[in-house]
Amino acid sequence: MTATRTVDRLIGRILMVGGLVSLALMLTGLLIYAAHGHPQAREIVRVVHNRAAGRAVDVFTSLGDVRRALAQRPPDPLAVTALGLVCLLVTPVLGVAAAVAGFLRAGDRDYAVIAGVVLAMLLASFALAAGG
Amino acid sequence: MSPLAFVAALFATSVLAGGAGAILGLGGGILLIPILTLFFGVDLHYAMGASIVSVIATSSGAAAAYLKTRLSNVRIGLFLALATVAGALVGAALAGVVPTRLLQLLLGVALAYSTVATLRQIRIELPEPTEADPLALRFGLEGVYYDAVLDRDVKYRATRVVHGFAAMMGAGLLSGLLGIGSGAFKVLAMDHFMRLPMKVSTATSNFMIGITSAASAGIYFARGDIHPLLAAPVAIGVLVGAAAGTRLMTRLRNTTIRKAFLPILGWLAVSMILRGLGLWLP
Repeated sequence: MTATRTVDRLIGRILMVGGLVSLALMLTGLLIYAAHGHPQAREIVRVVHNRAAGRAVDVFTSLGDVRRALAQRPPDPLAVTALGLVCLLVTPVLGVAAAVAGFLRAGDRDYAVIAGVVLAMLLASFALAAGG
Repeated sequence: MSPLAFVAALFATSVLAGGAGAILGLGGGILLIPILTLFFGVDLHYAMGASIVSVIATSSGAAAAYLKTRLSNVRIGLFLALATVAGALVGAALAGVVPTRLLQLLLGVALAYSTVATLRQIRIELPEPTEADPLALRFGLEGVYYDAVLDRDVKYRATRVVHGFAAMMGAGLLSGLLGIGSGAFKVLAMDHFMRLPMKVSTATSNFMIGITSAASAGIYFARGDIHPLLAAPVAIGVLVGAAAGTRLMTRLRNTTIRKAFLPILGWLAVSMILRGLGLWLP
């Protein structure tokens, strides 16, 4: 039971830190975006109603998009927000990876294998998404 | 609606969805997608992208707290995640091949039956101890949590593990095929089939929905369905709501949570049957 508690705490910490980091990034990006008075900030209603308009201005579809927008000087504030969203999306995967490590360290091979298989399937689905 | 009012309304809705999701073990998509599309007039693709983000936000916001209080069971969650993630992968591969309408109809009927079955056990605070399931013993599908309402430690062990696993596989298959979340199905499988305490079922579902949704989140991101101006305020609201929901949930009775869950189950059954009959498009 103690080993399980240690793994629980490890995963819990990862999920909490992942949530907080993504929250901070999303909030920072949105606040800078609004403070700079970007034209789209005043047009959020139109943008989210119309997919074509929205896609044209603000949507990131790959990590490369986000990286390029962050490399601009000054960085695109919405790219900071998008980075926060990416952090949020990978947080559960990090949680499962932590479970693999935690169960291995606790000597629980059954659950290290189960968590490892779940992690492998998650990574396969990411690979399929990238390929598709 | 002015942009500020739009964002404020969006944030408030997301806080409520996050709170409800954290208590009921749902990702909030079932609540958010209709609200975003019908009331806010948001494009359906963006609403679905925001919904998948909200599922992961609910999971991250709630599961951390539930793991600390031992309401969420990592072993049971990971064991059943084998079924849901595998089901989701198979479902995604079969999309377009399998007659989804027939599947929706069958599922709707199964959900309607489950609604009636859940109604029968509505007053049961904690499940009666039953004969030990060999798989539960083999994989340690058991645990203990402190129940603040009952003011005592509650021990539990899963039963009918094969049934629960099969239901989880079905839930994953469905989410892969139809692109919908499956928090309600996970709660149902744990509460109804595996006879886990309702709080453990919803808290463990919260841990699991993040994992299952992460499997498809990449697809939504690559498609451009996750719009930062919409998804970020939703995610922030949901994270705040989920954190508040976890505090409230520990003070609720298992029966209260089941009563709140029942209308969602009934709603899902009706919507699935109507979709299966081709009478409802969204």
